[in-house]
Amino acid sequence: MANGNERKLTKQDINKVYVRNLFALQFGWNYEKMQGLGYSYVIMPALKRLYGDDPEKMKRALKMQSSYFNTTPGTSHLIVGADMALEEEIGIESEEAVSALKTGLMGPLAGVGDTLFIAIYRAIVFSIASYVAMQGNPVGLIVPLLACAAVLWVRYKFTWMGYQSGRKLATGFADSISPITEAASILGLTVVGALIPSVVNYSTNLAFTMGDVTFAVQDMLDKIMPKMLPLGIVMLSYWLLGKKKINSTKLIFILLGLGMILGNLQSMLTAVAGLF
Amino acid sequence: MQEISFLIILVLLLYTMIAVVDQISIQCGLYSPLFAATFTGLLLGDLQTGLIIGATLQLMTLGVATYGGATVPDYLSGAIMGTAYAIISGEGAEYGIAVAIPIGLLLTQMDVLGRMSNSFFQHYGDRCAEKGDWKGMEKANLLGLIPWELSRLIPVALGLFFGEAVVTSINALIPAWFMTGLRTAGSILPAMGMAILMRYLPLKKYYPYFIIGFVLLAYGGSSFTVMAAALLGLALAALHFSRGKDKAVATVSGDVAMFDDEEVEIDG
Repeated sequence: MANGNERKLTKQDINKVYVRNLFALQFGWNYEKMQGLGYSYVIMPALKRLYGDDPEKMKRALKMQSSYFNTTPGTSHLIVGADMALEEEIGIESEEAVSALKTGLMGPLAGVGDTLFIAIYRAIVFSIASYVAMQGNPVGLIVPLLACAAVLWVRYKFTWMGYQSGRKLATGFADSISPITEAASILGLTVVGALIPSVVNYSTNLAFTMGDVTFAVQDMLDKIMPKMLPLGIVMLSYWLLGKKKINSTKLIFILLGLGMILGNLQSMLTAVAGLF
Repeated sequence: MQEISFLIILVLLLYTMIAVVDQISIQCGLYSPLFAATFTGLLLGDLQTGLIIGATLQLMTLGVATYGGATVPDYLSGAIMGTAYAIISGEGAEYGIAVAIPIGLLLTQMDVLGRMSNSFFQHYGDRCAEKGDWKGMEKANLLGLIPWELSRLIPVALGLFFGEAVVTSINALIPAWFMTGLRTAGSILPAMGMAILMRYLPLKKYYPYFIIGFVLLAYGGSSFTVMAAALLGLALAALHFSRGKDKAVATVSGDVAMFDDEEVEIDG
């Protein structure tokens, strides 16, 4: 088993790596190697244990570990865990395998991780918290904190899952998690659908007077479908985001402009009507 | 107009420091506009304003995240300054939202600058790796926190120290119709957060669930809450999950016919 490496990692080493992975993976983030510097910092307790008394091996390990790396922090634990298992098992001769593991898995795990840990997570956790806060109630802020505690636990499990099953598990992970991602997407979409009428609070005050009768535009719209305007604005934004040239920053300006027009529509129309 | 005391500025700067670490590590929530604005509101004695500014900014930016290291507007700093300005000027939450957005957008550049500065520590780390100096490499990564912190602390500190002057000049510059427009914009901006999420979630595949959620709250808004919709969504998700599992088991055992007939969706 211990080909050229009789030194073993302790439980404490792995827990140290976990804590560093939680906090420091992105401290040194830069455009050249992204999380590369952070990754070497995260795995350092393991490297110290395995190569601490051999400067030559340490040098090789450091060079290999500081290469380009970028993935979702939440799923990075699986890679770090598998990396530790490989290096413990094979020693420094595993450097090619570890490089391949890191570069091979960071993409797929970022795909799963960004959806699960960022997009869906926020759609559910932060939207519920904001919805409660919108009513002037700070209690909702507990929701993200509780969810965060759960995520920290999951990330702890990931570290050990990666470590215990090495490369095999981490590779299969992206496939095996897809039913969970699908189910979470369903929950996320239901919440998003429910949020639109509750948090996009626009209704028009536009009214037309014809003789003695005043038509309030909003009342007429409500008869067709309540909350039609908020849905319309969301669908417009959704459609715009599908365009190549529109990103979220540009969309802000578009919505600011739309707000300017909608907010002053009544007075604009009155001004135009006054001309005749 | 009230001034922000030196002590409160210090506490807010300390909060910013911790929030920056939260933002680039566990993201438990302190980094979010929701928490930042609420905390600022609490400190300045107007929790309600803070909550509303925070919630609106949060909903607007729900889907705005740093996927793959992309830079996004700095709504953390924007939320703190916007809430502080709204409270010291007494102009209300809409005002705070309206100033937080341009501040956040403007500070995008600071984030880019911070990430660029970190190349310096990357090079330092690379040189240490060549020498096998693991201590130096650890130091390089830890020092990388400094540009992150400064990119947020400098604007927040300047913004809060000169708060009153900033607010006065904003008020002198902005006409009434513009404020009305911003107020309307504030109410429709959460649409952006929804739209971005819909782009990330598989809307085309699972649109029926989106319709269910919308109908619940659009027609039943007085008796339903978002929490109720979330629970219903959870139930639907659980149904889908267990059906998916049944199907997988059936496929494995070769007994597919019955399940396949009932299955109407095509999965990829």
